[in-house]
Formats: sequence, C-alpha cells, structure tokens
Amino acid sequence: MRTAVYNSDIPENSLKPVNRSTLGLRALQFGIFLLVLTASLAAGAADWSTAEQQLARKIASVTGPGTVALTVENHSSLGRRDSDVVQNGLRAALEQSGVHFVKPEQAVASVAITLSENVTSYVWVAQIHQSASESAVVMVSVPRSGRASTTHDSMPITLHKALLWSQNDLILDLSILEENGSSSRIVVLSAENVSFYRLQSGKWQPEQVQAIGHAKPWPLDLRGRLVLNKDHNLDAYLPGVICHGIGTPALNCRESDDPWPMIPAPLIGSATVFPSAGASGSPSAAVSQVSGFFAPTRNFFTGVLTPAIGKFSNVPKFYSSAFVPRDRYTLWLFAATDGRVHMLDGMNDQASKLDWSSDMATVRTPCGAGWQVLAASTTPDGSDTMRAYEFPDRDPVAVSPAVDLPGMISALWTESKGDSAIAVVNNRELGIYEAYRLAVSCSQ
Amino acid sequence: MKRIVWRCLAASSMLLVTLAQAETRPQYGGTLHVAMRAAPMTLDPADRSEESFGGRSITALLFDTLVVMDDSGRAQPALAETWQASRGNQRWEFRLRQGVKFADGTPLTANIMAASLRAANPAWNVSSSGSSVIIELEVADPELPAEVALPRNAIAKKNAGDVIGTGPFYVIGWQAGKKLTLAANEEYWRGRAFLDDIEIEMGRNVRDQMTAFELRKADLIEVAPEQTHRFVQEGRGLTSSARIELLALVFSRDASSAQEKALRQALALSVERGSIRSVLLQGAGEPTGSLLPTWISGYGFVLPAATDLQKAKQLRAEARTVPNWTIGYDGNDPLLRLIAERVALNAKDAGLSLQPSSGSTTDLRVVRMAIASGNPWVAMNDLLGQIGMPAPKDKSGSMEELYTSEQAAVASGRVIPLFHLPQSYLSASDLKDWKVQADGSWDLTRAWLENSKP
Repeated sequence: MRTAVYNSDIPENSLKPVNRSTLGLRALQFGIFLLVLTASLAAGAADWSTAEQQLARKIASVTGPGTVALTVENHSSLGRRDSDVVQNGLRAALEQSGVHFVKPEQAVASVAITLSENVTSYVWVAQIHQSASESAVVMVSVPRSGRASTTHDSMPITLHKALLWSQNDLILDLSILEENGSSSRIVVLSAENVSFYRLQSGKWQPEQVQAIGHAKPWPLDLRGRLVLNKDHNLDAYLPGVICHGIGTPALNCRESDDPWPMIPAPLIGSATVFPSAGASGSPSAAVSQVSGFFAPTRNFFTGVLTPAIGKFSNVPKFYSSAFVPRDRYTLWLFAATDGRVHMLDGMNDQASKLDWSSDMATVRTPCGAGWQVLAASTTPDGSDTMRAYEFPDRDPVAVSPAVDLPGMISALWTESKGDSAIAVVNNRELGIYEAYRLAVSCSQ
Repeated sequence: MKRIVWRCLAASSMLLVTLAQAETRPQYGGTLHVAMRAAPMTLDPADRSEESFGGRSITALLFDTLVVMDDSGRAQPALAETWQASRGNQRWEFRLRQGVKFADGTPLTANIMAASLRAANPAWNVSSSGSSVIIELEVADPELPAEVALPRNAIAKKNAGDVIGTGPFYVIGWQAGKKLTLAANEEYWRGRAFLDDIEIEMGRNVRDQMTAFELRKADLIEVAPEQTHRFVQEGRGLTSSARIELLALVFSRDASSAQEKALRQALALSVERGSIRSVLLQGAGEPTGSLLPTWISGYGFVLPAATDLQKAKQLRAEARTVPNWTIGYDGNDPLLRLIAERVALNAKDAGLSLQPSSGSTTDLRVVRMAIASGNPWVAMNDLLGQIGMPAPKDKSGSMEELYTSEQAAVASGRVIPLFHLPQSYLSASDLKDWKVQADGSWDLTRAWLENSKP
C-alpha cells in the first residue's frame, strides 16, 4: 500500500521562507571576509536493503528454496557503484531466503533481474522462468533521490568566485552587512521577502524575514536590487515597487516608478583609481550618480536616465549597465534589449555586438587600470562563464581568465563597497539558485 | 613591452569572444506563429471528444490547473497553494491561491473551481467551502493530484458560450478548427508572458506545416515521426518529447470466445514491429508490447513485442473457423494507412485475413493514443478508457498490481500495442526558451522571440 505524498498541511501553510531557504544553505569562507560553512551536500550512501529484501522474498516465494541461475542488468540511471551495491545486496538477500546460485544448466529456475526506473521511482523487475511454460514477473519500486557535483581555470588579473548562499527560491540580490568591521549578516532579497541571517557559532542562523508587499503580479524574469542608502540602511528596488528601511521596523514597500541608482555610493565621486593600480596612472574624472527608470511590468530599464549622460537622457532599453571612468569623462556601457552593447561618452553612442550576456557590472580594484567590467558569456552547454574586461580604448580586452559558473546568471550587481559583485546563478544540475561573490585579485 | 602585452590580450580576448555565445535575457514582445495538425472545435478543456497534443498545448496557454506535475513526477502548487488528503485518500481539500483573476478580470473563486471540476468529472463529488475545493471519492485515490493536473481538469469559467481561463494568454480571435489568436494576459498571476501574441493555424497537415515553416510563416510546427530522422541528420532545431504516444491495434469489442482470443494473439505475434519501424517509421519510436512506455511504468520491457510467426501459425491452425477482419485507419493520416496495410500483410503470412479500410465501422483499427500523464496509474486508467476497457478504480496498489492489470488488458486481446512514439517539433532559431512538456505538449509560457521589439 503506497501512501500519498502531499505538500505542506493546510494549517501550516504559513511556512516561513526562512525554513525553505535554509534547506539549501551553504556558506563558504573567502579571503578577508567569510568562512566556510562546511557544505554538507555529501550524499550518504543510499540504503537499498529494504527493497533488496522485499524483492528477494518475492522471488523466493515463486522459486522456493533451491538452485537458481541469476542475471542482473542495470537499465536505470543508477551508477555502476550503486548498481554493484544493489546486485550484491540482492544476492545476499536471496541466499538468506534459501536460494543458491548455480550455472543455468544446473538451475531449477532462471531469474533475470532488471534494474529499471520510471519518473519517480527505481523499478526492479524479476522475470522468473521455471519451465518453458511457467513464468512469473515480480517487482518492487524504490523512490529516487538526487545527487550533486561541481567544477573549476591565468592573465594579469584573477577573478575569484566564492559561494555565499544557495536556496531553492529565486535570489534577486544579496548583501553582506558588517558590524565592527567583520561580516556578520547576510541579507537575501527574494521575490516575496527579504531574509536576514546572522553568523552564530560558525553557522548562518535565520534572524528575520520581512515580506515585500506588492499588489500586482511580478513580471517574469523578475529583477531586484538591494541598495545601501545614505543612512546606511538597505533599500530594495523591484519592478514598480521600492522598499525603504529594510531590516528596520519602519519597512515601507510602496508602488513606485522612481529610478534605480546605478552606482554604489562608495564609487560616487571617485576621482582616481586605487593608488596601487598602475596601468592607468592618470587620474580619472569624478563619477557622479546616474539613475535609470525600470519598466514596472518588464525585465529591463526603460532607457530613461536621470541625470542625463552628457547629451543623452534617453538610451535604448537595457538590461544592465556598467561604467569606466576616463580622464575627462565616464564611458557608460548599456547591455541593450536588442542584444548589442551601447557605449556612451556623453557625446556619442557606439553600439557593438560583443557576444556578452545581458548582465554586466563595474568593480573598482587595485589591479590593472583600476576599473574592470565583469561580463558573462555562455558556453555551448548552456552555462555562463564570467570574465573581467578593461577598455583601453573602445574595445573590451579580457584581463582575467574565465571563471566557470554552474549555470546561467540570473542577476549580477556591483556590491555596495564597489570592489566586488554578486552573481546569482541558476545551478543547472541542482536546480537551485546560488549567489556568488566575484572578486578580483592582482596576478603577477 | 606593455603595448605588446595589451595586443596579446586583445587578440586572446577576441578569440575567446568568438568561441562564446550571446545569451541575452528574455525579450518581451513579438507574435509567434504556430501550426498544428489538430483542429479542435472547442476550447473547453473538459471536452474529451478531441484529445490531442495540440489541444493540450492550447489548454495550457489559456487555463491553469490546481496543481502541476514537475519533472520528478511530484505535484507542485498552481491554482491551489496547498492540499491535503484525509479519510484514507478519499477526501481531498485544495486551498485556492488568493488574488488570481480570469482573463475577463473576474476573481477566481472556490465555487467556480468546483463547478469546473464537476463539469469535467461528473463522477466526482466536488464542493466548495470558503476558499477551498473539496473532492470526495468513492474509493481511495492517492494519485488525485496527478489527476487534477491533467489538462482536461483545467479550471474554466463558462460565460454565455465563451470559455474563459486564468492562463497566461486569452483569446482575441477564434475560428473553430481553423485559427486561434491569443494575446498575453497582462495580469497573469505567474507574471506576464514574454510573447505579445500567438497565432495558431489548426488542421494543417505536416506537409503544409513544413511549407509554412520554410516560408517563415510558422515559427513552431509538428514533425511526423518518420520525418524526424531527416531533420536530425540535417542538424535542424528538432525537439522531441519522451515517448508519449501509443500506436496500437484496438478491436471494437472484447473477444467473444477463447478461439477468438487465440486468433487475436496470433495477429499480435505476426506483426513485424522491427521492420515497420525501420521502413515506415524511419527508425523513430520504440516497438512495444506494453501499453505504458517503460519511462512511465519501469516494467514495459517485460511484455513481449517480438514476432513469432511459427506460434502465430500454430494458433491459427488450432482455430476451427477464421473470420475475415477489417482493419480501419484515419484516412487523413497516411502513416496509419501504411501501417494498417503492413499489418494486413503480416497477418496474411500467419494465415489470417485482414482487409484495410478507411471506413468508420471495422473490426479493429490502428490508432494513435495520446498518453495522458507521466503518472503510471493516471496514464493507465486514461488509456484503458480510450480503448473502451474498464479501468481499475483503486489506484492505491503497488507497481506489481499495476503490471498485473496491464498484463490482463493486453492478454484480453482487445488491444495490441505496437509502438511508443515521441512528439517532435521544429522551431525557428529565434524562438527561445520554449520546451516540450512530459505530456507531449509545448510550453510557451516562458518562450520569447529574439530581436522582437519590446
């Protein structure tokens, strides 16, 4: 008798997103800021013994104790190791049931076991032949479970990725909050809420969940960004909705078409690169904030900018932007919805087909020219690779080797300090969302 | 020196750029043109008279179900956010998702959901209570979520002859059996679709569909199984489902005697599935002796599909009289006609008489049957219903019990399974992120057209 599998009970419907997100929680320590939270995805060996014994009993009930010629074939997605474990288990269980294995010519019965499967279960089928006319089929089914794996790749700059967070639900953005100079809280922006986690005893513990109120359905391919405001509180920008006071009792989400700031506050007014950045040498123009209006029912910025970039207050609709400060101006890049990258210097708009994905972000670092644009390309297998680029002139030059990501990027935002970026990836194998910090280090 | 380094870097980056691909975010806008063989005369999901993969696809664009089945065969929330069974799986309560609206702007209520489910399932006792729909059954059914996930159980509101859904698109033009024009539902609860409009040309045979595709008048078309081999060789954008269609011989009535059953077994043993597959299907599909494909049941390979002409002749010889059977086929389906003729030849080799006919009244027919679900119990019950055989009411048994009932159905001689076939589609290169569902229908809810104007 099978039992039905249901989702949450109705009275417990108000299941906290925190609980759901912590299902996939992994944290890693990286460089100056964070810790490895021992990712315990190592799957334990599956226990097949119950099913082995069930099938052995069923076979023995047909053949009775005696001599049997046994074959076992694996036609399922079980790996060789698991398949061998099952075969050995079945043999042992059959022997316990009084069945002895002999060559076909000496056997009273032949048993052909096929390890098969359907969508939800492994199905192990035994075809038993006792004489030319006497045959029987017995079988057991075993619910299936998943498994996991990962991968990893020199130039003047090295791009590092560090996994910060993973969860089943879509991650729109993530922010690390520091207290007393050390990272102590993670804030995760999801479609329906903002979740806070605090580092306690080496583990991220759920601390607070704040719901994001929105009257209208979200658009597909939902975008959202956490922005540190001048009061050092976080604001969340989503299509048609802005939430002020994240993490405070005065959280206020309201319908709003206000533009999204496109430059993290620490980078505004940056007149020079890091002192140690040697390639450029010359100071660059001060960077001033530019905000872009986001289409409330779509996945792109409308192209309307405030203030204008030189003579351009309107640019083509775009998915993401980046900027590179120059001696007398700032070069702006827009990944437009037409698949091209538009480069604006305030006077000219030059469009190029760069074969980049739709997302890019600027970081300010002590390496190379001091400003790099992070952009992704897609490999033939459908996963993204991320690379740092500089713009000695108008063409991008790759300055780092590519970093492989385990799926396609769904979000890429410069972090609030401006020296790293958060990339959210939809992990192809695990089917979960993972947020990575992308940081640049200077190679020799 | 520094200049040289930069040049090297530039060259290497250009090389890498050419190896990479541009994968942009989905783009909003554009009209998708689809062609299909099915020619449904109604959009009502509860109408079971015209079950087709095309019909399923249209239903998914216009309507939603209480739950949906994921790739692992687990039910996931849709119009119902939560559900719970009681009384040993005889009473099921589905709690309605709040804030969902029909395409005409009216809110979805539990009353409307209950009425829709009642219309589709007269045998169910369906009621509403607050924001819940309650389904009470005569016998336990642990597979009810998979059942309510079927397209025919999609929630529809009937309003003065119109059928309205909560789906990602709504109807803006409808010529029954000919053409359907859809527009994106801006208020869709899962988020507005990327496509603006979809135009579906119906009742188009595969040759016409191909012509429309080559002329760029259609972006998504169906491909006949015997054509798939060619498109794979040509490297065209062919997408196929799992094997979700059963091609079988179905007798119009049960065998009336042991002798008749033996003669039907002789017919089953005479059919050369391997050569039919090689020649008529051009290598497509899988010969089968089972109703359910192995990917659904896990045991399909156990039921024999091999030809045994000697045994067929022996069974024929044991019969005192041999009837002259007529074998029917859909006159609009050239593949079925060819298979009927080939089966008749095979039968002749066994000493049986089989006369092909495109008439509607025949002793047996070669038919295509769309398998309803990836859930083995639901799929089996539906197939038996299509064949005209009683389905076991109790779906709480083990896989072994399901096998036993399938074996009994095949042994009855009412149906002779021949092949399991996938559904294959050809799509234009600028159509992105569409997929074929496990049930053989296409899913366009996240599809988008590259270079469309948002």
